[in-house]
Amino acid sequence: MNPQALIGQRIVCMVVWTLLVSGWLCSSALAQTSISAPQDMRVFDTPSDGGGSLTVQWATSSWDGPDTRYQILAGDAAVTDPAALTIITEFPGNSKYVKDAKTAWWTRNVDKTWHQVLVRSAKGFEVKDGTSYAVALAAVQGDQRVFSQVLVASPSPNWFNWNQLNNLIIALSFGGLVFYTISYAKRHEIFLRRIPGLDAVDEAIGRATELGKPILYLTGAHDLHDPSTIAAAVILGKVAKRAALYETELLVPHREPITMAVCQEITKQAYLEAGKPDLFKEDANFFITADQFSYTAAVDGIMLRKKPAANFFMGAYFAESLLLTETGASTGAIQIAGTDSDHQLPFFVTTCDYTLIGEELYAASAYLSKEPVQIGTLLGQDIGKAVVLSAIAIGIVLATVGAVTGAQWPQLFLDLLRDLK
Amino acid sequence: MWMAGMTFSEKMLKIDRRIIFLMIGLCTLLPLLYPVGLPIKTSSEVRGVYDHIESLPEGSVFLLSIDFDPASKPELYPQAIALLRHAFKKNLRVITMTLWVSGTGMADQLVTQVAKEMGKENGTDYTFLGWSPGGQAVIINMGQDLYSAYPSDYRGKPTKELPILEGVRSLKDVGYMVSLGAGRPGVEEWYVFGKDKYKFEMGGGCTGVMAPGLYPLLRSGQINGLIGGLRGAAEYENLIGKKGKAVAGMDAQSATHLAIIALVIMCNLFYFSLRQQRG
Amino acid sequence: MIFLRRQLPLLITLVTGLLFAAQYYVPHPASEQMLTSATKWLQIVGGFALILGVTSLFHQHAVKIRRQEAGWGYSLVLYVGMLGTIAVGLWTNGKESVEGTMTAFGWIYNYMMVPLQGTMFAILAFFIASAAYRSFRAKSREAAVLLVAAVIVMMGRVPLGEYLIPLSGDVSSWILNVLNSSVRRAILIGVSLGAVALSFKIIFGVERSYLGGGKE
Repeated sequence: MNPQALIGQRIVCMVVWTLLVSGWLCSSALAQTSISAPQDMRVFDTPSDGGGSLTVQWATSSWDGPDTRYQILAGDAAVTDPAALTIITEFPGNSKYVKDAKTAWWTRNVDKTWHQVLVRSAKGFEVKDGTSYAVALAAVQGDQRVFSQVLVASPSPNWFNWNQLNNLIIALSFGGLVFYTISYAKRHEIFLRRIPGLDAVDEAIGRATELGKPILYLTGAHDLHDPSTIAAAVILGKVAKRAALYETELLVPHREPITMAVCQEITKQAYLEAGKPDLFKEDANFFITADQFSYTAAVDGIMLRKKPAANFFMGAYFAESLLLTETGASTGAIQIAGTDSDHQLPFFVTTCDYTLIGEELYAASAYLSKEPVQIGTLLGQDIGKAVVLSAIAIGIVLATVGAVTGAQWPQLFLDLLRDLK
Repeated sequence: MWMAGMTFSEKMLKIDRRIIFLMIGLCTLLPLLYPVGLPIKTSSEVRGVYDHIESLPEGSVFLLSIDFDPASKPELYPQAIALLRHAFKKNLRVITMTLWVSGTGMADQLVTQVAKEMGKENGTDYTFLGWSPGGQAVIINMGQDLYSAYPSDYRGKPTKELPILEGVRSLKDVGYMVSLGAGRPGVEEWYVFGKDKYKFEMGGGCTGVMAPGLYPLLRSGQINGLIGGLRGAAEYENLIGKKGKAVAGMDAQSATHLAIIALVIMCNLFYFSLRQQRG
Repeated sequence: MIFLRRQLPLLITLVTGLLFAAQYYVPHPASEQMLTSATKWLQIVGGFALILGVTSLFHQHAVKIRRQEAGWGYSLVLYVGMLGTIAVGLWTNGKESVEGTMTAFGWIYNYMMVPLQGTMFAILAFFIASAAYRSFRAKSREAAVLLVAAVIVMMGRVPLGEYLIPLSGDVSSWILNVLNSSVRRAILIGVSLGAVALSFKIIFGVERSYLGGGKE
């Protein structure tokens, strides 16, 4: 290429470049002047909440971006001039969308791309239920400030959180399933897999009887609020019945007085059912202290002095678990643990002869009693687990499909499984 | 002798546990007397808490719940000191409290000591609300109305008159919350009854034994950081550039961990040699 | 009597159980208020229940002292310790310090309770070591996997371990974050379903053994 042609080509390039730059500058300048009042603004009481908040929604604009800002203004319902309202919050134009809020498709009233902001009490501005407020929106770009119309709404508390509808349906379905499986178990024979820890209960009580030593039974760190304590109390009934049949002494130290009182009743009934009411001792269940390590020290002392032949650790446990079980192991007792405190499982598994892991604790009463009601519950739980596993698998596939293809339909299913508040 | 007739491996497997206790005791004591000072790497879990506090603007409300008693003091006390030093350094409004009655006195001493060291004033820069009965009920109550859960602070001053609580009515007004828990009520309760209901950001701290149990909360974003045990405290001390008891304790922890590994290897060697002898 | 011992408790369980299950779905302040009031009432009832516990404790140890059973001296220590602490607590109005000066109650807290509790917790380290030595054996393939994972995590959680095997820190972090978290979640799912099923049974009176008294 000759030099003139090269120069000519460069000139053409420069002209094109200049035109492009000036075009971009003009379009930006035009964009700067083109902000207008936010469109389709809505203000209403926030649904499914406890009151004290209003929701503001509006459609996105072509000029939404980091350079433009939105202001939410609010004040007394009588105010009609938006400029007279208080600025509650201010944020960049490319933030605060409906999609950012944890809501599901069945509660969403606008597209996910719309803007959404909640107006709550802030410094110098209080939002009270039942009071009407004037709310406006302002779009700001440089020196320009454009207001929306002023809308009036009043917040109020709601009686149902519709976002949690999926949770309610799942809970009710699972409850229904459990009752169905209970009635099914009453009519059919159901296979129950062996739980070695529970097979060993008889062995442990038998050994204690042979050696003429007591059985130590702990119900855990929690009170009867916790299902694991209830499960522990239920198993105590079965263990106490066998201890009564074998005429073996039972020691049940407690950390909680109400649990102690309930366990006294359960033990008494077990002795009655075994036909040995005269052997029942009121002080077989006794209270020590609610304090974690004081209780541990006391129980360790009982283990070392009375040397029980069988130790049962059922219910919830914390750092005291190893202190209890290791002392028990040093006295040579057979140890059976059952806990849903997953963080303590490694210690129980290491130091006890048998450990009921997690839900096996809840299954224990079914296994020991072989009652259809209990076995049916187990069947219900197993079906529930299968459903959860399937939901996880399907959810992974759909979420992946949604992410890869950008399709919205997988969200319809995924929302059903989300934890929404 | 009860060990007569036993092979060497059998004897070693049934070794008196007091010998093991002595070994662990020495492994703890000697590094404390003669520290080495090995470098400590920061984990993303601890950095999560640090970074969030670092990102808070001055004057933000930081709630620290000291949910442990003296039993867990060796692990959680250094965590609390490091967190308080960081929060005071950032000039945050620090609200402290406890859900464990047996930890009240200790928590008061801890907060007062760090505040004094950092030149902060009670009521203006920080407050210790003390203990209120109810465990998780206190959290729910604070979520609705902080002043009804704590009508007065630990010193008996009405909370409504405390300048530090200006504009703070409930947990909804808290910028960041950390629960240092040794059990229940602790991190999980603060998540279930606090963050989940009243929507504030939170992190956690716990004993080393409990830490693996809280990882599911961390991975699902239910808490944004976790300080686990003495190691976590040492990492935090390193991050704020003020080394304390946790960093000093890391050498001892290193030695005991290695001692336990050595014990486990030994017991397996004896176990396999015994199995071989028995065919 | 059967009504008071059986039907009434079951009715109360049904009504309150359904009410508090529904409370979770109701965001109205009245529902939150109900929850707070109920939890406060539970605390009050729990406080009175402590009388039950303390009575049981005193009775148990009084019998030991009266009969001079083996170790009755410990029971005496319990009486002295408990009554002494209550007396000192009342005397100092439950305050551990007054204007920076430690009270007698504070002295008991700082110089008795703190070191005693610390000692109990510290024993844990010794027991972990002895339990590991006694039980951590590669008896099966699964146990061997556990053993290797435990050694890696123990190495990776201390500076010396990371210094000796630099990769151990990252590997232990991966074990804790991925393997440990997923297994715990699996256990949690099972536990939660079990707890929900048990709650349903209790609310609807299918499970009643916790009331004692067996079947009517």
